[in-house]
Amino acid sequence: MIRKRSLRRGAMVAAVAVGLLVAACTSPAATGTQNGKQVLTVAYSSEYVFLTPQLATQWWHAVGSEFEKKYPNVTVRYEPIPGGYNDFNSKLALLYRTSATAPDVAELPSALMGEWVSSGDLLALNKYVATSSWWSNYPESVKAETTINGKVYAINHGENTEALYYNVPMFKQAGIPVPWQPHNWQQIYAAAAKIHAALPNVTAFFAAGGTAPGVGAIQYNASGNMLQGSTNPTIYDQKTHKWVVDSSGIRETLGFYLKLAQNGWQNPTLTEALSPNVVANAPGDLAKGNIAIAVGSNYYGTAWVKSVCGPCWSQGASTMAVAKIPTINGQASPGNGSSYASLLGCWDLAIGAATQHAQAAWNFINVAQEEGNMLSAAKGAGFVPPDDQYWSAPSYAGVAPPFTHFFATLLPYSRLAPELSQYSVWGTGFEQATGAIMSNPNTTVQAAATIMKNYITGQMGASQVESLP
Amino acid sequence: MEAAQQASAEVGTRPPSPFAAPEVALPASQRLDKARFDWSSIPLLLPAVVLLAVLFLGPVVYSFYLGLTNLTLIGPTSHHFSFTGTANLSRLIHDPVFPKSLYLTAIFVVGSGVVGATVLGLVLALAMQRAVRAVSGVVGIIVMVAFMLPPVTVALVWYATSTGTLPALVGSPQSDFLQSLPLVVVSAADTWSLTGLAMLLFAAALRNIPREVIEYAELENANAVQRLSKVVIPLLRPTIITTVLLMTLLALANFTVVYIMTAGGPGSASMILPVYSYQQAFSFDNLAYGALIGNVTVVLAGIFSFLYARLVRARAREAGGIT
Repeated sequence: MIRKRSLRRGAMVAAVAVGLLVAACTSPAATGTQNGKQVLTVAYSSEYVFLTPQLATQWWHAVGSEFEKKYPNVTVRYEPIPGGYNDFNSKLALLYRTSATAPDVAELPSALMGEWVSSGDLLALNKYVATSSWWSNYPESVKAETTINGKVYAINHGENTEALYYNVPMFKQAGIPVPWQPHNWQQIYAAAAKIHAALPNVTAFFAAGGTAPGVGAIQYNASGNMLQGSTNPTIYDQKTHKWVVDSSGIRETLGFYLKLAQNGWQNPTLTEALSPNVVANAPGDLAKGNIAIAVGSNYYGTAWVKSVCGPCWSQGASTMAVAKIPTINGQASPGNGSSYASLLGCWDLAIGAATQHAQAAWNFINVAQEEGNMLSAAKGAGFVPPDDQYWSAPSYAGVAPPFTHFFATLLPYSRLAPELSQYSVWGTGFEQATGAIMSNPNTTVQAAATIMKNYITGQMGASQVESLP
Repeated sequence: MEAAQQASAEVGTRPPSPFAAPEVALPASQRLDKARFDWSSIPLLLPAVVLLAVLFLGPVVYSFYLGLTNLTLIGPTSHHFSFTGTANLSRLIHDPVFPKSLYLTAIFVVGSGVVGATVLGLVLALAMQRAVRAVSGVVGIIVMVAFMLPPVTVALVWYATSTGTLPALVGSPQSDFLQSLPLVVVSAADTWSLTGLAMLLFAAALRNIPREVIEYAELENANAVQRLSKVVIPLLRPTIITTVLLMTLLALANFTVVYIMTAGGPGSASMILPVYSYQQAFSFDNLAYGALIGNVTVVLAGIFSFLYARLVRARAREAGGIT
């Protein structure tokens, strides 16, 4: 009995040892070649940038196929990254941590360009752009987004600008003349009040806010854009290198939200306005037809057309019209001198510093920047193309008239948010303040501003922040 | 025998049993009353030890180290980071959100795990014991389905319910309970998802209570409340302790439900430690600081587990069992 037990145990030990040996394996090395061809890894957002995941797949594969035909010694390996803004940036950062996983070409948000550059993950492209035929067509403001200390680190893939969408039939019912272009915030309030009085069951002014949608939503919703139209739009003081946690501009913006909340102009879509998916849902929210005015982005109009269908809204162009976001008093905004405001958001194509195929990666970007591909990206993602020669082209302007050309004209005065990772801390504090007001109309601007100031100061430290008049 | 009994009585020890087996001399490797070590067990245990070390111990130790560095997700210290000593600890102490997060976590764990899921699970198990078979079957299936649902589904169900169905039911369709009572709603969602497991544990324990014990109490004219409080609950004590620990650890580790429903908001109103750790690491790119906050959660879980082990050992000593 004892001997049988020993024999059984010995057999088990031997089996485990053999199993360990069999289980030991070497992971396949990432050599960057396959069947003698170079393998170019391209990482992109599969759900957040283009209007639908299918459009994202379609565009990237079309560019990839065209590139492979032109350069038959290179195979494209696609790395689609699902999820929202934070998910995408987190996954991309993790991919960049090792040279084996770092993509050769990546789609990046411009908001974090400074941080990507300081992490050493991106290749400087000056010698490549010097040979390009299209770089000189880009406005200086577009070039500046991806140029850090004189070095170009990425190429703009498409821009987002912001304006006011308004419901024409609702305006007519409320007796407000159309077309409508407010020249200050008082005129916006007057229109919202008239809408609310005439149509109490609609949302007079839809303004997203709160922390749920993440910091990336600031540029697409009212908070970031109204701040740009305030008397002091400074977010990061370039002179003192400090973040602004209190200013007349911040208080004016919070005051705007308080006005909406106290007058009930946000109801009945308050839940949608606080939703974590408000950026993606916005075109659909407007298409439901119960919002009179909203701060919105260029991609809404494109989302409604039949060929994009994100969602389909055949009456979109006839129901909604657009107007520029005015500064608070119609004053010229410091810095760009415009009496209109818009935050700029963009997506860029960058080459990884660890790439073994820099020339092939640049060739891929070149293919992506060809007219047909740039315009199809503009259509599929609702972008404004960075190349100004396309802004009036029928193939672009005709995609979703009148929205497409209108939003392109906003590009020259649109401003970019600071391209620093601490922006996410500042943005969270800002969103906490707007969310506090939206959730509690009985609060005050002072209370909301204190929330913002205390939060950001608590996270960054007093030496990193300042208050401005 | 009488002499043995007399000797035992003199020294106060128990007399040897007349039924005891005679003592047989066995080699040390086969004696069952002494600790044994079999060297051939090492290769058999090695895979499990390696897995534990690589998948648990290693990452936990490394995480504790990372919590004391300046590692970021993106930026100049994303690749080349260094040990910064107590800088992050100092930041933690002065962080105004951290104590609030700790407090919210305690409320969430006690509310949804210790009290919510445990009490509801016990109530359901007791009720199902007395219910008609068809009813107990249906209720059991519903509760277990809730337990087996992926956390994402639980979050989406409760998101829709708290912003649509519940407000309509209470006659206030414009209300948004997720905004006005975020911690209550996420706690309710967590309770809803954990109750099935607690119910299962209690149902099994209740079946193991001998029927005779209940009958004795009935013969002693104990009413239902007395039978529950004086007979059933004391007999369920080991299961209650185990269930409370399990629910505590599961609630402490909850991230998905809270993150999807509120992302810790509005403001920081539902910012429990796992969500705050994620926010610091992946929204603010402060991987090291996020790791430190996560380490606090690990320490808390360790403390709960230690207290549970002490409690179980104390009970075993009381019962005269093996420690």
